[in-house]
Amino acid sequence: MSAEAAVLRIVSAARRLASVAGPSREALVSELALSTGLSREGVELGLARHLELDPSPEEVAALVASATPASAVAVVLSANVFVGALRAIALARAASPHVRVRPSRREPVFARALVTELSDPSVVLEEALEVAEVREGELHVYGHDATISEIRGKARPEVCVRGHGSGLGVAWVTRAAPLESSAIALAEDVVPFDQQGCLSPRVVLVEGDAARARALGEALHHALAELGRRVPRGEVPIDVRASASMWAASLTYAGEVFAGEDHVVAVADEAAPAALPPTHRHVLVVPARDAAAASAAFAPVARALVAFGCDDDDAARSVAPAWSRRSPLGAMQRPRLDGPVDRRDPR
Amino acid sequence: MREVVLTPAERTAASEALHARARAFVEAFEAFAAPPESFDALACDVARFQAEASPGFARLCRARGKDPAQLRRAEDIPPVPTDAFKLTRVATFPPEEAGIVFRTSGTTIGARGEHAMRTAETYDRAALAFGRHWLARDLDKRVPVLVLGPSPEELPDSSLVHMCASFAQAFGRRVAPEATYLVKDGVIDLGAFDERVSRAIVEPVPVLVLGTSFAFVHFLDAVGDEVPFALPPGSRVMQTGGYKGKSREVPAAELRRSLATAFGIEERAIVSEYGMTELSSQFYERTLFDEDARHGVHAEPPWARVVPVDPVTLVPVPDGEIGLAKILDLVNVDSAVAVLAQDRVRRVPGGFELLGRAPGAPPRGCSIAIDELLGRSGGAEA
Repeated sequence: MSAEAAVLRIVSAARRLASVAGPSREALVSELALSTGLSREGVELGLARHLELDPSPEEVAALVASATPASAVAVVLSANVFVGALRAIALARAASPHVRVRPSRREPVFARALVTELSDPSVVLEEALEVAEVREGELHVYGHDATISEIRGKARPEVCVRGHGSGLGVAWVTRAAPLESSAIALAEDVVPFDQQGCLSPRVVLVEGDAARARALGEALHHALAELGRRVPRGEVPIDVRASASMWAASLTYAGEVFAGEDHVVAVADEAAPAALPPTHRHVLVVPARDAAAASAAFAPVARALVAFGCDDDDAARSVAPAWSRRSPLGAMQRPRLDGPVDRRDPR
Repeated sequence: MREVVLTPAERTAASEALHARARAFVEAFEAFAAPPESFDALACDVARFQAEASPGFARLCRARGKDPAQLRRAEDIPPVPTDAFKLTRVATFPPEEAGIVFRTSGTTIGARGEHAMRTAETYDRAALAFGRHWLARDLDKRVPVLVLGPSPEELPDSSLVHMCASFAQAFGRRVAPEATYLVKDGVIDLGAFDERVSRAIVEPVPVLVLGTSFAFVHFLDAVGDEVPFALPPGSRVMQTGGYKGKSREVPAAELRRSLATAFGIEERAIVSEYGMTELSSQFYERTLFDEDARHGVHAEPPWARVVPVDPVTLVPVPDGEIGLAKILDLVNVDSAVAVLAQDRVRRVPGGFELLGRAPGAPPRGCSIAIDELLGRSGGAEA
């Protein structure tokens, strides 16, 4: 079987899992709601809109081309956004016909379901996989930098470790963008997975003055409230609530805060890395007078910038770091299945 | 909520009056007298002034549903998080009126917080009064003061260096600056340290050594296993601050033990100070003068209070429970009378215990955590 065909089989398995008519769908949604902390509506949204089920042949070819052939691949998944397991397993299978998958202990549900549904002997679940016992090929590790470093330390020297670390999404709203529709699109980028993914925007830079940033912030507040009624936020862990409380108080002093039942949007006059919001639908909106000011504003966090949303791809190309994945607003969390989400060097 | 617009002259007059009331607390303390008025009354008056002179604080009050005019208890004053000092000016006066500006130490990519003061007079009086009380009240003459840190000329915007300089001036002998400030361009002058200590031993006169935890770790590393720096009898050490990645980290008790050994003094003579750039008041362990006191418990001056609060609701937690440090500081007249620090604290008899920085929300999913991105440190004095 070609690598492309193997990838498409994985996509088909995911499609069966996500199918509304599927027999196990209800149980899957319930289990995912429990394991991810997302609301049921949040899980449904992930399955319906953010699982990459319709890749074009070109995208699949690109995904296969992005994989380095290996004798075997062991995949170590984190409690990532749950749909991320599809891409991770597809990338591993594109690299090798011998794939072992260790799901996250905290969120094993989707990876487990996908591998089971796939029923392919070349992709096996190995929940007790020990990194030090991987003797050949590659380790594809998804997680935070500390986890990746730890695994690098444990891996045998002959095993190549490819780390896909944590990151951050930023959006850039140019002067030409209409604010209301941009805000609606941004809300669709913020709400999925309650911002726990690296593709979700946590900072929005608005070309123009403080008044324009405020207008976008207020429009985003309304858009998030509207979308939040259909897709309520899931459980917010206590430590996130504590960080959010302090963040909102700081921004109330330094700027303006629009607080909704399920979200907070803060507008500040100047960007400061210290103002990076916590996850779970917290967004900082900052004005930048032009593209150069926008670049300068996120320069301190550029290394972490995985996703870059913009209403104008030409403008995005001139501002976004080369390694970030550019998307139109509203599509930041719907990356094409054409390779790793994180385009930073995985080694 | 009533909107009040103060003219510049009214603002300055109001500030001066509040400073005078805060200084009256310090003067009463120095005279072993009861405070001249209730803490709550002055704290709430300072909060009302700050709401009138600072739009940011007025917004914070509104967001917390607090009408400054109705405030009666200090613990009801909405605290300004230390992060706000990194994002904006936390001040009741325009930049051109600043008499002095203290800045927090930088992080790898984070902004430096600023604490601007219209006047440092009240700050200096308060710092000296409480510093003398817990470090130098038994000294009947000036003593050699050795600062394991840079001079105010080298680091003019550090509140800690400023405080050490005022201690050196108040308690120390008149010597050349290079004999007092023993860190230059990041290097400790062990020769100068040795020379001053040797003279003090001959005299004999106790010495007061002031420094940060990381400076002491560098000192101990430089000294190695030798013990050439035994201090004269009666000497004492003030140790403050975290590590901020500037040296290896050593647990507090271990550092204290090592310093006591290296300096040949009792552990009780090593006094921890807790302060931060965003505050005007400091807190000390009482071990030097109170034999019932234990290390790890910091005492407050009558003009400041540390209240552990729930990190989400900001409501005070019951005594004995751990909360975030909400610090009420009457000397912070022109900035924030209530500050929310990122340190975890617990009330205990005699003061409060400092239990380390509250971690930010740990990483979830692949969305980067704030601390992971910033590699930031707490708000200790810089």
